[in-house]
Amino acid sequence: MKPLSSHSVEASSLTRRYGYRVALKKVNITFPMEGIHGLFGANGAGKTTFLRIIATLLRPHGGTVKVMGYDPIEESIKVSEQIGLVGDKNLLYNELTGYENLEFYAGLYGMKKSQLDKNSNELAEIFDIKNWLHEPVKILSTGLRKRVDIIRALLHEPKLLLLDEPFSGLDRDTTDVFKQYLEEKRNSRAVVLTTHNLQMGTELCDSYVTLRRGEVLSSGAASEFDGIL
Amino acid sequence: MTSGIRAALKIARKDIVSQIRKKFEIFSMLLFALIAGLVFSFALPTALVEDLGGEAAIGAALIWVIVFFTGMFGFSPIFLAESESGTLRGLSVAPIPAWSVYIGKVIYGFVLMVLVEIFIIPIIQVLFGFTMFNEEPLLTVVTLLIGTLDLAAVGSMASALTMPSESKATIFPLVYFPTATSGLILLTEITRVLATGTTIVIAVGLTIPILFIALLAHLVAMITLSAVVFNFALSP
Repeated sequence: MKPLSSHSVEASSLTRRYGYRVALKKVNITFPMEGIHGLFGANGAGKTTFLRIIATLLRPHGGTVKVMGYDPIEESIKVSEQIGLVGDKNLLYNELTGYENLEFYAGLYGMKKSQLDKNSNELAEIFDIKNWLHEPVKILSTGLRKRVDIIRALLHEPKLLLLDEPFSGLDRDTTDVFKQYLEEKRNSRAVVLTTHNLQMGTELCDSYVTLRRGEVLSSGAASEFDGIL
Repeated sequence: MTSGIRAALKIARKDIVSQIRKKFEIFSMLLFALIAGLVFSFALPTALVEDLGGEAAIGAALIWVIVFFTGMFGFSPIFLAESESGTLRGLSVAPIPAWSVYIGKVIYGFVLMVLVEIFIIPIIQVLFGFTMFNEEPLLTVVTLLIGTLDLAAVGSMASALTMPSESKATIFPLVYFPTATSGLILLTEITRVLATGTTIVIAVGLTIPILFIALLAHLVAMITLSAVVFNFALSP
């Protein structure tokens, strides 16, 4: 199917408030259909709010936003089909096993069992979690849960990956595996990630946008990032 | 994308499996129902029960009182647990209509309360010495099921509406009690008429259909209204 837009994310004058506090103030951000794009900024800069709006979790209070050409409020189901989200908290049910969690989410995405098994086996192999996938999530360590959660987000092969501090809680080896996975897929999907680790962010990303107090401070090629937040 | 009803069934199934593995929530609900039934049976002397309309009339009302309050244990955490663990975001970003999440939770709450009723109704019948299933056992079962669905619909919405509140435990009854009371009064009246059985022919002919239509209207209104506004609870 031909994409509706040449941009994965197009935000224009995007505004969001929490009570009287303005989290995003008339922000204009555009990300292309491929590549890895970083959202940098100090705590409270508005990075997570921006990700939540494009992930259909929050309604903007002003401006417009299109995700893969669709409106995340009016066409939330079409947007949801194309995105995968790894947030600050994992989205797993503790009483279920890792595989049961994947099976549940795959069901919501309308995936067939054969496709679920193929994709989950491949990803479990990549993230080295095959031996833990049939254990209840509640007995897994934070890092193992994070790995299952990453597989959950990748399972339906999303065209746009939204990653909020994706490397926190991961050991060095898994971080390297995940970085390599993202680099391999950078030409076939768009990734928007937030990170406090600016060195890793600039190494991994193609472009960046820096937010400060809800406004865009700077943007450009990641290799040209000046380190100012 | 999966269909809304199929997604609702998957959500309900996931919640039932999680509940069976957790055990303690359903156990505390059954314990509360049992203790409430025992206390009422000791607190109401036979003479008073006769004055109040007999065992069947009192027992039928008590069943709904116990189910109503036991529902607080079951319905209150329906969305609270998902909201606190963050898993509600997983449902919010899934490509399913918002109403399917609500309907899934209603189905789960319904199954939970049916389990409580299967446990407590025989006990109340033995303690008060009556049977609810007289001349119209099928109608009684249908009333119980529709009544339970009505309470589950109201309880699930109350749980969703109180999610963002900082005082959830205080706010939940303030939403649940007034919205569920009208349905509860209808249920108590229908169940009393069916359980007493003496006026069954007249009741089935006259009272029951009117009350039943009112109960169904209450159920349809609650489910429709809740399903329509539910997307605002998922994406504030």
